[in-house]
Order: sequence, then structure tokens, then C-alpha cells
Amino acid sequence: MELSDSELVKKSQAGETSAFQELVSRYHQKVFMVILGLLRNREDALEVAQETFFRAFRKINSFQGGSSFYTWIYRIAVNMSIDAQRRQKRNPLDFRESMDDVMAAQNEVAKDPFADVHDKELREKLNRAINDLTPDHKAVIVLRTIEGLSYKDIGEILGCSEGTVMSRLHYARKKLQDKLRAFL
Amino acid sequence: MKLLKKLPSLVLLFSALLFSAERPGGTAEKNPQSVQVTIRTILAGNKADEFDAKLKGMEQQLKSLKYRSYRSLKDDSKTVPWQGSQTFDIPGGRTLTVAPQEFQDNRIAVKIRLTQGEKPVVDTTVKIPNKGNFILGGPAHEGGVLVLSISAAAQ
Amino acid sequence: MNNCETIRDSIGSWLDGELSPSASESVRLHLAACSDCSMARQQLEKLQLVLKDQLVAQAATIDFMPFWRGVQQRINQKRAWHEDLFEWSRGFLTAPRIAWAVPALIVLLLALFSLDSYLPGRGGRDSFASVESIDAHGRSVALLREDQTKTTVIWLYQDQEGENETAEEAAKSGPTF
Repeated sequence: MELSDSELVKKSQAGETSAFQELVSRYHQKVFMVILGLLRNREDALEVAQETFFRAFRKINSFQGGSSFYTWIYRIAVNMSIDAQRRQKRNPLDFRESMDDVMAAQNEVAKDPFADVHDKELREKLNRAINDLTPDHKAVIVLRTIEGLSYKDIGEILGCSEGTVMSRLHYARKKLQDKLRAFL
Repeated sequence: MKLLKKLPSLVLLFSALLFSAERPGGTAEKNPQSVQVTIRTILAGNKADEFDAKLKGMEQQLKSLKYRSYRSLKDDSKTVPWQGSQTFDIPGGRTLTVAPQEFQDNRIAVKIRLTQGEKPVVDTTVKIPNKGNFILGGPAHEGGVLVLSISAAAQ
Repeated sequence: MNNCETIRDSIGSWLDGELSPSASESVRLHLAACSDCSMARQQLEKLQLVLKDQLVAQAATIDFMPFWRGVQQRINQKRAWHEDLFEWSRGFLTAPRIAWAVPALIVLLLALFSLDSYLPGRGGRDSFASVESIDAHGRSVALLREDQTKTTVIWLYQDQEGENETAEEAAKSGPTF
């Protein structure tokens, strides 16, 4: 029978690395998606995602169970992504090139329903538009879009109220729609 | 919420104002109105082992003088205005005159003259910590020596 | 603000399922009747779909075992003590905490300075009375400081002529410090 997240956390706190490995297995892709959505660079996102789980491992005993494991791990992931963004020294052109590589890889490995030129341009414009958002606005849009998390959960992850989440989402979506209207 | 964000700055500003307004160690200080001067006259000797219970609060100070006996003769307290003076009668026909001069850095500068009849015995200027004291001793009296505890408190 | 503007501002929250039932119903009815707002809804849905697809496609390429090996490597790697300290300080010493700590420290220092000045008899040089000048009119005089009680003593020794008291006893037994 599959163990719940809280049972796996308890086992991890007791020193069972296999339990922690199971948690990583469940959440590594989701965490990676959130970080990639924020950093827009695959290699950096991989690095930060691994570092996120490493930090979670070191802090696992401080997880009291007041929130769910996934909001806790996402909180670590977002904070580490923000730290990484501050450290990033790349210029905007490098960002676009990185995500171009991402999209080229995507076309090779996944059946892409938007594989025509128009949608390729849309994705390029989307990358730029997202990069123009502040870290706070990027975070809400990524968390909502990828995971469909509630405003309450997003607020818990980002340390803000539901009202703030709502207004940031509204602002971010409006900005993206304004920039991408011709392509949507 | 905006006020909360400004709160550390407000605390800092308040601290700075408090510091500039309320420094007790400042050089330019307003003088207190007057000084309460207290003279405790004690007879110290070596004829017997005795310690007057009235002198309990001064036990450590007096015992450092290494006499065997200490007896309280009189306590006298007077309010002395700044730049004014007051005279205290001291056993053995002596007089102690105290004149507060200045209050600075929480210390009271006092001019003191001990006389024997008309003859000056000692003139001294001492800076006493506010509410503190010093000891003037040595004049012979009734087989022992007089020990004067002179204290001052700004009012 | 007209009704279409209000509805368009709410489409995101409606798609997110975060509106109240009555507000949700208002939006649904309006979208069914208004082609412009319905178009806005489709644009928003497409936007979210494109973003999600990008990231989901990338995440699907991440194999678990190499990823886990990367995490394990970090777990097994011995870290220098200063790295742990740095990591702790980054988590603990956040900007709001530092912003509060600085004025709190200043207030504490002020309180300590004030305490030092107002508490009588606290240790240190300043608790001794200091003799600024002395004229014993030819007599021997000693100035002494007793450290334990922080007491300044001016001791007048008997002169050769003596005073009109029984000076002998007193002279023999001057204070010993």
C-alpha cells in the first residue's frame, strides 16, 4: 500500500533515506517545473531543484506538519529560485537562447500540438513576457498554472494573503495578455 | 501595513531623539536646585571590640580602617544651596563647612573646610558621586579618632 | 467600469475556481452571452495551456535516478562549517529581522548606558570620590582608596604639637589599609 506524504516524512525524520527518496520521486518533476518557470533556464533549474531537495533533507526534522509537504517543498523551491535569480549574471539575450534550446528539445521529444511557426513565435514571446514580470508575479503565475494550487496554498508558499495572490495573478495575466494579444 | 514597515525606522529615530535629549553623562548639564549634605560623625578606637548597630550600612567601609570599635556620635543632614554653604558642628570644638560648587557627570564638587576653633585643619575640594560619600578622618577625640562620613545628594 | 470590464477582471479567478457560487454563476452567464468576453476567456486559457505545456514537456525529460544521484551526492558531501553557518544565517537573518535588530540593539545600548549612570555604587573608576585639591595646613595627610567598597579616605595625621584631645592613643592606632 502506498504510504502518504506525512508517513514518508515521519520515516525520513527517523533516518530512513529510502522514504525521503520516495518523496523526491513523487515531487521532483513538479518542483523542477516550478523552478524552470521562474528561472527559464534548464541547467540552472536542475541544479536548483536538486539543491532544493538537499535543503529539504537537511531541514526535514524542522518540518512540523503544520502545512502539507508539497507546500513546504514548493516554499523552499521558490525561495531558492529567487536567490538564484539574484545571483544570475546572464543578460536577457542569454535567457531567450536558453529557452529556445528548451523549446527545440521539446519539439524533438514531445508531441507538440503547437508545432507550427505561429505557436513557436508565441512561445518565444511568452518567455520574454514572463521574464519581464517581477519574481513575485512570476511565482504566482507559475504555481497556479502548473499545479492548479489554490490561492490559499499559493499564499502559504509565498508568505502572503489570498488577496495578494489574487491581485498579483490578475496583474500578471493582464500583462501577459496585453503583450501576447496578437498571438493568442 | 505601511506603518509597520516604517516601524524600525521610527524606532531608530525615537532612539536618536532619546539619546540626544536624555544623556546623563553630558557636559552641559542643568544644575539641580540644591544639595542634601549628610555628615555622620563616628568615633573609632582600639580599646574594645564594638560595632554600633546604627552603622550597619557602613560596616564594610569602616572596617577597612582596621579599628576595633566604631560608635556613632551624631548624624546631621542639611540642605545646602548651590554656591552657598552650611556649617556642621563636629565634636571637640570643631566645625565642618560644606559648600557645593558644581554638578557635572552626575558628580557633586564640594569645598570642605574643617576647623578646630578658629584654626583651619584642612581645606579640600572633592568630587563626590551623586548619592555617594567619602571619609574624612583622623582628628583625635576621647581616646580614639573621629571618622566623618560626608555624603551628598543632588535635589 | 462597465460590466464586460468587471467580468474580464474576474475571468482568471473564475477559471481558478476561487469565486463565490453567486459571482461564479454571474460570470458563467455573461460569458455564454458575450462573444468578446468569451474570446478573452479563450485567450487566457490558451496562455495558461502554452505555459503549462512548455514546462510539463521539459519536466518529462527529467529521469528520476540521475536526479536522485545528484541529490544523494549533495547529502553525502561533507560541508565546511562556515557553509553551514552561512546557510543558517541566510535563513535566520532575514531583512525584516535585521531591520528590527538594529534599532532594538541601539535602544538596549542606550538603556545600559543610562543604567550605568543612574545606579549608585556600580563598579568602575567613577564610583570613587576624587580629591581635586587639598591643603592640610602643614599637617601630614594621606589620600587612600579602598577598592572593595570604592571608598575614598582623607586621613589627617596628628601634628607634632598634638591637639587638645588625648592624641597618643589615636596616633598609635592610625588606620592600616
